[in-house]
Amino acid sequence: MPLALSAINLEVNERECIMLNGLSGSGKSTLCLAAADFLKAFPAAVSSGKIIRHRTEQEGGTGIAMVMQNFYSQITYLRPTVFEEIAFPCENLGLPRDEIIERTDDAIARIRIGHLAGRNPLDLSGGEKQKVVLATAIAMSPDLLILDEPLSQLDPESTSHLGEILSGLKRSMSLIIAENDPYLTLKVADRVVVLSDGKILADGKLENILGPDVECEIDLPAWTRCIMELQNGDRTRDHAGTAIRYELNYKRAIETMRKI
Amino acid sequence: MMDIEFSHVTFYYKSNLALRDITCEIAEGTTLLVAGHNGSGKSTFLKLMNGILKPTEGEITLGGESNVNKRTSELAAKCALSFQNPDDQLFAPTVKKELHFGIGNIHADDSLIGPIATLLKLGEVMERNPYSLTYAQRRLVAIASVAVMNTPILAFDEPTAGLSIREKAYLGDLIALLRKMKKTLVVVTHDLNFLLQYADSLLLLAHGKVEYFGGRDMFFDRKDSRQILARCGITYPVYPRISAATNLKAHYFIAADVADSLKKREPAPPSAQGQHQLEGA
Repeated sequence: MPLALSAINLEVNERECIMLNGLSGSGKSTLCLAAADFLKAFPAAVSSGKIIRHRTEQEGGTGIAMVMQNFYSQITYLRPTVFEEIAFPCENLGLPRDEIIERTDDAIARIRIGHLAGRNPLDLSGGEKQKVVLATAIAMSPDLLILDEPLSQLDPESTSHLGEILSGLKRSMSLIIAENDPYLTLKVADRVVVLSDGKILADGKLENILGPDVECEIDLPAWTRCIMELQNGDRTRDHAGTAIRYELNYKRAIETMRKI
Repeated sequence: MMDIEFSHVTFYYKSNLALRDITCEIAEGTTLLVAGHNGSGKSTFLKLMNGILKPTEGEITLGGESNVNKRTSELAAKCALSFQNPDDQLFAPTVKKELHFGIGNIHADDSLIGPIATLLKLGEVMERNPYSLTYAQRRLVAIASVAVMNTPILAFDEPTAGLSIREKAYLGDLIALLRKMKKTLVVVTHDLNFLLQYADSLLLLAHGKVEYFGGRDMFFDRKDSRQILARCGITYPVYPRISAATNLKAHYFIAADVADSLKKREPAPPSAQGQHQLEGA
């Protein structure tokens, strides 16, 4: 059996957003499943280590919600409308009817899928289904929200909008997001954890962890890549004359490029 | 000739309008990117093209022949489609069998399996069960199983979804090879930042209607390109945005081209600097 994760030590703080970056096969999805406690179902697969959860007694908190990489498998298709599909997990939590409706309405408004509320989930496009599953997870109002590649089928505007939603959610919950989109990382990540071959290669703020070993494992913003290309010809220096390797800030990158 | 023509095509899912009055012509050997907001009709467009769906109104021809009265199996030899969700497509017990399945159906030869498996780095997993692979590898297997069929038209639905930079580079190599082989490629994608470099033309959809159909470079020359993209739920692609913000005269689609162009140009006069508004990321 191939080793998926080894010697992972990771602490996620309250109201912190961790972005998992890394090549495919580096262990991002397995780490998401571990954080969501799904690996408990496979005791034989876990050779050592444990997950310690310091539960907060946050009012209304409902533990963990997760949107999986293959989100298609999370839609029950037992309910005839998107509204009822999103309400389904809240019903399972045993919430009062008024609160279920309030939470469902709120999640639908946040994800901006009001126009789909009365449609049958079976009739939706791939990206619309992904939005339904995201809304379902948000409606549960968890303490920890885990998203595995939440942008995979979203159009660019929805991607940008999800960034805003996640920035807002960070104020009330912890987030673990496996996603290689560098623009989402810049927007919402408090910390970036780079996985490589099942191990943590780097853990920290993006600007602090970038180096030759990390650079080939993760995607970087286009302007950062442009500056890196220019640097091969040693043309880019900051105001003090020091060579710039990684410029993550869009405005500064453009200023640097304009001066060439 | 294997060009593709949509003539006034309209399609309804039961009572839901998915595509309205689509007319476009895709020349043989070119690459078309289809983009638009979620639910704009992109995947429906692909399914109509390869005959999985039949238009409610209008006509679709592949290489001059109408596909409306043809069975999907008859069209498979002309146009192969890889689905949005690779797990809807994969079923064989090994990667090798998966790659042979489509070929067997259309009685094509297997000469492309070797080179394409090598390009997508699938050589080492040929005997593995596709479901024991990572999601990105499963997507590559789904893409490979279609590409090896050697059909004149190839359609890919969101081929970069779930791929990390490493597999995207492999996919880029495959697209470059298929372009060299003069295949007609139709690619539905949200990832314009990566795929624009390979595009000849663009089809931009909003609410089932064509907002733009035409050449890639012509599109970025238009003054209203931003507004068109906004109607389609698409943010302005990042490399053309950098090209404009750094006052480059042409539109570029990869970092190396932006950098090369910057290195080659004459230093800009101070008055020209800063004439474009800087936008937030």
